[in-house]
Amino acid sequence: MKNGVLFFLIGFNICYAQTDWVKWNAVEISYELPSIEIRNFKIDNGNVGSTLLTGAVKTYHVLISDIDGDNCPFFPSCSEFFIQSVKSTNVLAGILMFADRFTRDTNFFKNRAQYPFHSSGKLYDPAVNYTLKFNNINHIPYDQIVKD
Amino acid sequence: MKGCKRNPFSAFFFILTLFSNLLLAQTNSSQIDFFSPQNRLKFGDYLFREQDYLRAINEYQEYLKIANNDTARFKFAFALAEMGRETEALDNYKGLFFSSPLNEGARLEFYKINFQQGDFVRFRDLCTEKIYLPENSDLIIQKLNRFSYLLDDNLLPDSAAFVDVFDQGEKEQVLNFYMRKKFPPYKSPLTAAVLSAIIPGAGKIYTGNYGDGITAFLLTGILSFLAYDNFKADHDFRGWLFTGLAVMFYSGNVYGSVASTQIYNVGIKFHFENEVKIYLNEKKYFLNKYDFLNR
Repeated sequence: MKNGVLFFLIGFNICYAQTDWVKWNAVEISYELPSIEIRNFKIDNGNVGSTLLTGAVKTYHVLISDIDGDNCPFFPSCSEFFIQSVKSTNVLAGILMFADRFTRDTNFFKNRAQYPFHSSGKLYDPAVNYTLKFNNINHIPYDQIVKD
Repeated sequence: MKGCKRNPFSAFFFILTLFSNLLLAQTNSSQIDFFSPQNRLKFGDYLFREQDYLRAINEYQEYLKIANNDTARFKFAFALAEMGRETEALDNYKGLFFSSPLNEGARLEFYKINFQQGDFVRFRDLCTEKIYLPENSDLIIQKLNRFSYLLDDNLLPDSAAFVDVFDQGEKEQVLNFYMRKKFPPYKSPLTAAVLSAIIPGAGKIYTGNYGDGITAFLLTGILSFLAYDNFKADHDFRGWLFTGLAVMFYSGNVYGSVASTQIYNVGIKFHFENEVKIYLNEKKYFLNKYDFLNR
């Protein structure tokens, strides 16, 4: 009986210890950073202004941004921020908001305590906080991570 | 092995030990009614103690369909409130307001939920009109009434009337909250705009964003210099191009300084309200004295 159990245990381990007999090979690793923004190339035809605006931004996406890579440290990116700004205010305020965002983007010494992190690892800075509507500002402590 | 005598019962004991637990572990499962009201109550109480309110709600709900038990109803309402189902919780607490020994606690919980819902104007109306006011917890309700002024934008009452309901030990902290609410350390958007209009970036520095301020100053300065230099060299197109960009970034900085001030002020408001809520939690005005809650 004892020998039987012992034989069974040893035999079981030998038989089933390794089922994967395929030789292990080096795996091809992709170091490409996937873009976190899903590009929507549809041009907004609501009015002349939005057609021109979205047309210009989409052209920038195709000719420059997609080739240059995902370099903006913010979420949403500056171009997306521009579209959001114009949609939530007007063209003039949108341009001013974009100019301000571009200045903050150019800043080499970004204040870590100024922005929370987005789950993509970028700094979270939505356009809604800059529309000058006090009650619309969404304060998120900088030590939190925003999931979008 | 020679000389070693095999015990004839060893195999029997081996098998018996292996399978006896499996065969005899549960012999009377068919005789127990796990879904009887009493067992549902017991399991509900167990889940409640474990703070598994979501599942405790189901057990209490089934139990209360058959039995009428004030303690179970109180715990049911409490669990509902903990899970954010406040309207249902209020309805169940109301069922205990009259002819129940738990009416005092239920009324306090009623006020607690109304406070937590954040509609402080309605909460103060309840206090003023004394709707379902718990008689023995009047002081707690009055304290919460004062705190409600710190958490919304309505006009604050007089400071002496504000702190008079608090104990001597609490008065200093509450008065501190009161003064910070009345005179919040906000930055002026107008000052930020004027500063940025005079020296680009100064408004950002005023709100504590030094890097942004210096960058705005450099960016506007460089673009202005490029515009001046191109006009001087009779490159009119480039001159106007850089002038346009300089104006855009200059105006954007004035706008951004105002926005930055607002964001700063919202941060001040957020941290103040957070501090008040932490203070309230630490003081435990809401804490019930009922042993059966086991918290």
